[in-house]
Amino acid sequence: MRTLRSFALLLCALTALAAVAVARGADGESTTVFTVGFPGDYDTLNPVVGVEVPDYEIWNLQYATLTDKAAADFATTPGLAESWEGSADGKTYTYTLREGLTWSDGTPLTADDIAYTVNRAKAEEWLNYTSTVQNLTAKAIDDRTVEIASSVPDPKLPTMDVYVVPKHIWEKQDAKAVTKYPATDGVGSGPFTLVEAKRGQFIRLKANDGYWGGRPAVDEVVFRLFTNADAMVAALEKGEIDAAHDVPVESFERLSSTDGIVALSGEQGGFNEISVNGGRPESERVEGIGNGHPALSDIEFRKAIAHAIDKQTLIERVNAGLGRPGTTISPSPNQEWIPEIPEAEQFTFDLEKAKQILDAAGYKDTNGNGVREMPNGGDDITLDYVVRSESQSAAGDAEFVTGWLKEIGVGTKQRTVNDATLTEIIGKGTYDLFEWGWTPFVDPDPELSYFTCGQLSKDPEDPTNYYNDANWCDPSYDADYKAQNQELDHDKRVEIVHRMLRTMYDAAVYHVTWYEGDLQAYRTDRFEGWLRQPADIGPVLFSNTSPTYAKLTPTASSGGGGGGISGGAIAGIVVVGLLVLAGVAYFVMRRRTADERE
Amino acid sequence: MSVKLVLLKVLGALATLAFVVVFNFFLFRVVDSDPVANLFRGRNLTQEQRQELRQQFGLDGSKLHQFGAYLEQTAKLNLGRSYISNEPVSEEIWSRAWPTIALVGVSTLLSTIFGVMMGIAAAWKRGSKTDYGSTVFTMATYSMPDFWLGILLLVTLGVSLGLFPVGGMTDPGSDATGLALLLDQAHHMFLPAVTLTVAYLGEYAIVMRSSLLDTMREDYLTLARAKGLRDIAVRNRHAVPNAILPVITLIAINFGFVLSGAIAVETIYSWPGLGRLTYDALNGPDLPLLQGLFLVFSAAVIFFNLVSDLLYAYLDPRVRTA
Repeated sequence: MRTLRSFALLLCALTALAAVAVARGADGESTTVFTVGFPGDYDTLNPVVGVEVPDYEIWNLQYATLTDKAAADFATTPGLAESWEGSADGKTYTYTLREGLTWSDGTPLTADDIAYTVNRAKAEEWLNYTSTVQNLTAKAIDDRTVEIASSVPDPKLPTMDVYVVPKHIWEKQDAKAVTKYPATDGVGSGPFTLVEAKRGQFIRLKANDGYWGGRPAVDEVVFRLFTNADAMVAALEKGEIDAAHDVPVESFERLSSTDGIVALSGEQGGFNEISVNGGRPESERVEGIGNGHPALSDIEFRKAIAHAIDKQTLIERVNAGLGRPGTTISPSPNQEWIPEIPEAEQFTFDLEKAKQILDAAGYKDTNGNGVREMPNGGDDITLDYVVRSESQSAAGDAEFVTGWLKEIGVGTKQRTVNDATLTEIIGKGTYDLFEWGWTPFVDPDPELSYFTCGQLSKDPEDPTNYYNDANWCDPSYDADYKAQNQELDHDKRVEIVHRMLRTMYDAAVYHVTWYEGDLQAYRTDRFEGWLRQPADIGPVLFSNTSPTYAKLTPTASSGGGGGGISGGAIAGIVVVGLLVLAGVAYFVMRRRTADERE
Repeated sequence: MSVKLVLLKVLGALATLAFVVVFNFFLFRVVDSDPVANLFRGRNLTQEQRQELRQQFGLDGSKLHQFGAYLEQTAKLNLGRSYISNEPVSEEIWSRAWPTIALVGVSTLLSTIFGVMMGIAAAWKRGSKTDYGSTVFTMATYSMPDFWLGILLLVTLGVSLGLFPVGGMTDPGSDATGLALLLDQAHHMFLPAVTLTVAYLGEYAIVMRSSLLDTMREDYLTLARAKGLRDIAVRNRHAVPNAILPVITLIAINFGFVLSGAIAVETIYSWPGLGRLTYDALNGPDLPLLQGLFLVFSAAVIFFNLVSDLLYAYLDPRVRTA
């Protein structure tokens, strides 16, 4: 027993000591550290294969791109290249690099690095690069001149937003090794470069002296992982961190009304939708892949459903008032791609109208059980509503939507599944309704491509290899998709995209409930110069090119390092430590005297 | 203890492990989902790229073929690569094992020591104020969910008083090494360790108390007293060694679960342990990582069960001959 007791004593003493010692270690530092809290871990820092949100933030900071994007409106601005010139046919661009560019390790950054990145990414089909480089060929003319040619007219040019990797580091990895490369070498050309990354804990970057935009005022950026979002909010309020990404909805209002903290909902084109199984055109049907309830193949029936969804109520009652009611899908964070739809042509919430549409189309409740039947004496209509368990809003929305559908005489049956199962169900077409969302890239092409006929699942044995989760497609939409893909006149391209989105909206297969934002919050006492991308509605962190970090400056009142422990806290720690020691000592003494008292 | 008994126990443990290896494979394939579709949703990949990823992940052959490859690699102690991070699973587990062993190990040790001591004190003075007080306390902590206690401590000691950091294992901005680093980690570990200790000591105290109460009715204790032994000697030399046997089993089994971590507490305090890693792996689903984790967890439980069996045989002569 005695050995056990002394061991316990030792452990307690160690812990108390720890508390005291850490307080001692927190003297003022001279480096300016900007700390960001985030709730979801990175997967890998390799820009070839990483998929998680934090990865992109690190790449945005570490790897500069040939052309940059304006914070306000994503306009193409000079990056590594200070200027460029296009050929007459618009298929070839010649970029001139800035003078004296270097990598953070001092190696010169030349046109060769850019040609290397583009050509190798194309040849090896690098996962995150392919959609941009698949038709491109790059050629280094001299150290500061690179020519990029596209085999087809490419409206994305002259924008070149691929992360340029250092050839002298990456050429050591062969085609097989490159996808498994952890990319923690810390050699980059952006405003900050990686110092240390620990999965499950934090990522740390330092300012890059050689950044083309000049060395940032912040010395270090630290991303700190919180698996508990409430603790992240507490850390922000305490000042342990300077900003937080993905703040929980429940804390958002409180943070908004806290002095010294700005809370914002930053839109980046993300949207949430209730998808209806649209039923494919006859030519696209595949044996073994479902088309949903037969009523859903009737556009009139789908329109009735559209009129039975009250987006404003869903936003207020389920989504804590956050988000804007949506119309068409949003293919880009840039608002110019979304068409205006006159209110008279929108599917506004109107249950009477929904009932009239159903009556007129022959869906009647002849047996009086409250549920309409298929025309000409068919069965009751009960829709299979699949609720996604990972979603914050799907279950709440389903309660409301089910209620409205019941009012117009349409039955539903709910089942709840996780992401993996839902992906499977969607591919097999065995659903009627589900709720999910998308976040698009800046160029609208990828998001638009997801709803073409080519992206419908093709094989019931392999249903998850495609993106089209509306189970709907339309030849005119596909034709427009091809046209915009090669349209070099920007205004004309916008017009085509507007037409596509309108075609999809009118088909009533994809009911965008709201355009959603990332909830973020930051303290105003230590840094200023926060940039929203895009202006006014976008987020300040985790945006498309993350321009905030390089522009932040410490406020006049901020006292250097920060993050230290106050004198009062130190006193508190000492007191707690002493109390623990005293308690243990008392316990041990009592035992001793107990022996003697016998 | 006979060699035969030890051999039998070890063989039993190995057979269980073999069963786990086989079961493990099918467990995570009950839901027929496609990790590629799930992990790369909205990434604008071509069909060819997706197919290639599946090939890389070893998902292209038949289930039987995949099973064969899995058995072969596991036998070579190759646990494969994580789908999510691309790192070898063994490295991934290794890097997260230490935080978990430190946190859950320390708190299991502390809760065992304090719990057993409280149980002894309560039983020996049955009906006294000590007994009453400690029983109320242990019942309260036993029935208290650990995540609730964790949040409570976080809010009071971490946020309101600001004595401890609200999460993480180290101060991410610091360059501390050696003792300073150790102290920094201890500072971060204080709240989660206290949470786990308090949440689990009740179990030990209750079992120890009831076991000691049973023993106290035995005739040999009356005899010991009649020989004139002091009360403390009767307790420490005659009562406790007999009463502690069931607690030893409990301790051994709980140590087996040390590695699996404490998902709730690790999540609350953003502690980078195996519990949290399991949760993330399930979300993928990151099949190689899940398989690796469950193999390690099962092996730990089987190992400590073996230890407890052997220890029991060593401590209790009745088992030796049985």
